[in-house]
Amino acid sequence: MVEATRPRTRRPAPPSPPLEKETAEAEANQTQALSDRAVRLAEFYRGKIETVPKVPVRSLKDFSLWYTPGIAAVSREIEHDADRAFHLTGRWNTIAVLTDGSRVLGLGNIGPQAALPVMEGKALLFKYLGGVDAVPLPVDVSSPEALIETALRIAPAFGGINLEDIASPKCFQVLEELQRRLPIPVWHDDQLGTAAATLAGLINALQLTGREMSTIRTAMLGAGAANLVTVRLLIRMGHDPHRLTVVDSQGVLHAEREDLDEMQLHNPWKYRVALETDGGGREGTLAEAMAGADVVLGASTPVPGTIHPEWVRSMAPHPIVFALANPLPEIWPADARAAGAAIVATGRSDFPNQVNNSLIFPCVFRGVLDARARSIPDDIVIAAAQELARNASMKGLSAQHLLPTMDEREVFPHVAAAVAETAVELGIARVRASREEFYVQAQRLMARPAALTEALQKSGLVDPMPDEPLPPRKPS
Amino acid sequence: MKRTSPPAAERPSESKPHGAPVHARPATEADLPALVSLTVRLKRLNEEFDSMLKVRPDVEAQAEAVLKADLKNPKSLVIAAEGTGPDKDKVIGIVRAAIRERVFYVPETEGVILDIYLLPLYRRHGAGQYLVEHAIAQLKERGAGIVTVEFPSQNEIASRFYAKCGFRPITAHHARLV
Repeated sequence: MVEATRPRTRRPAPPSPPLEKETAEAEANQTQALSDRAVRLAEFYRGKIETVPKVPVRSLKDFSLWYTPGIAAVSREIEHDADRAFHLTGRWNTIAVLTDGSRVLGLGNIGPQAALPVMEGKALLFKYLGGVDAVPLPVDVSSPEALIETALRIAPAFGGINLEDIASPKCFQVLEELQRRLPIPVWHDDQLGTAAATLAGLINALQLTGREMSTIRTAMLGAGAANLVTVRLLIRMGHDPHRLTVVDSQGVLHAEREDLDEMQLHNPWKYRVALETDGGGREGTLAEAMAGADVVLGASTPVPGTIHPEWVRSMAPHPIVFALANPLPEIWPADARAAGAAIVATGRSDFPNQVNNSLIFPCVFRGVLDARARSIPDDIVIAAAQELARNASMKGLSAQHLLPTMDEREVFPHVAAAVAETAVELGIARVRASREEFYVQAQRLMARPAALTEALQKSGLVDPMPDEPLPPRKPS
Repeated sequence: MKRTSPPAAERPSESKPHGAPVHARPATEADLPALVSLTVRLKRLNEEFDSMLKVRPDVEAQAEAVLKADLKNPKSLVIAAEGTGPDKDKVIGIVRAAIRERVFYVPETEGVILDIYLLPLYRRHGAGQYLVEHAIAQLKERGAGIVTVEFPSQNEIASRFYAKCGFRPITAHHARLV
């Protein structure tokens, strides 16, 4: 993979500057320490979320209201009008974090059981950042049809479904079919969340460097879930498809590549991008794709050196470099800047300009759940990206401040309100309210989990974070 | 490296009365390199459908030999499809067909479409249908009273396409490795 994305021309790579090596080494040590601690903490807390009652229980007598016999009347109401489930149960605010474990983080196909800690973590983020009750749900299926079938069958419990860590191109088929067949919002973060966050960053990067979407030339490295959706959104926002060059492990993706027939059969989504962009009029490798380009978007191999500084120098003046591979960017930001990059973004929180889907998915779900949207069309994804971008620019854009950081949590309800308002405008919302009303509700719901967690910690009901070394293992 | 593909506006909709951005003409020796490449693409596509259609390592040489012979054979038909606009003079598709005698059935003369391939960018917009109709007309001119076509059983796209063109299955071709 790495080899194939390198140029086929025989340009020798110059030796890495010492800084880069040190960073990489420190990086490896830090990652190891983090991994060790994560395992021990997982052992200590044994799960990251739990079910907590949200109604008062004064005595056991109250169960005759929360449960039988009183609850029968609630069921009857829903039996007569299924829609009432959104008013009489937690369905309005509950989503499934559904995975088959076929592509978990950078770990690959580790299966549903091993995916559980990741789904628990995602559920925690959903609750803490978005105020959304999320149920981790790894399921033991392998075919896309079986996953679709599962999602259709569990839908009565949920107000939305978040697909997580599903292999490409299977994820496209699953998302498309579920969006078509389910009357509740379905989202796949690896496609939509990453694309929206990228788009938000790009909108501001274009503004900072005085560029227009309709005239830029863009090179994209990687043709996985995120980049294929990013292509779709960019074109929808006015990017000329023939100024867009997508590069994958086989080189520039164009309409006459030898593997196109095979692609049509096995990855029609990538095939369509190949026809639509036709390599942006280019062939060859990333080196050819980047020459004269205004923007390079990397979402591929987590190896610094995948994007060579020399190719950054070959770009248009004041180029924009998004090196979003995780955990290691395709080029270190310092190297990109030294090669002339005007703006550099990565997927990491320890560098400026983190392009992070955690800025997007809590807000999108808060918005579509509050508006009770039937689906999440691209216009909503774009609206979320634009609102995120707008919030960053209100604080003052700079090459170091392209997007809000995760600490700027006041931005979240604004994005949620923009999403809900867009759903209303598109005619897919079942709740009609003003943007202000959506904002007030989102702000309240998004603030509550932090207060709840804090209260639980203060009261000692949640064990304080243990210091190193961790106390001995609790008996199972 | 720059590619010479036409800009979007000039691509699908423009040109030819039939609406498809392709133009069919008899193939010549000069077209051989392009025809070989298109034929090899088709065979590799067939391989995707069935392991019993695994292409030979010498597929290119074979394609060249077959096409060379066909260009000289009056019982064979090789059609080159060209693009239009900036792609005029660029061979972007092929039809290879043959005239056969049906010993037991009528009509007695059969035109068989053996290979048909269009580069992905030039598909749709009726281009495939135009090529098939063009080939049928040519085969009819050579006496064919029935036209048949061969393609992998698993190729559902082809199956649907020929159904749209008015074809239906008449014989089945089953195989087992021995």
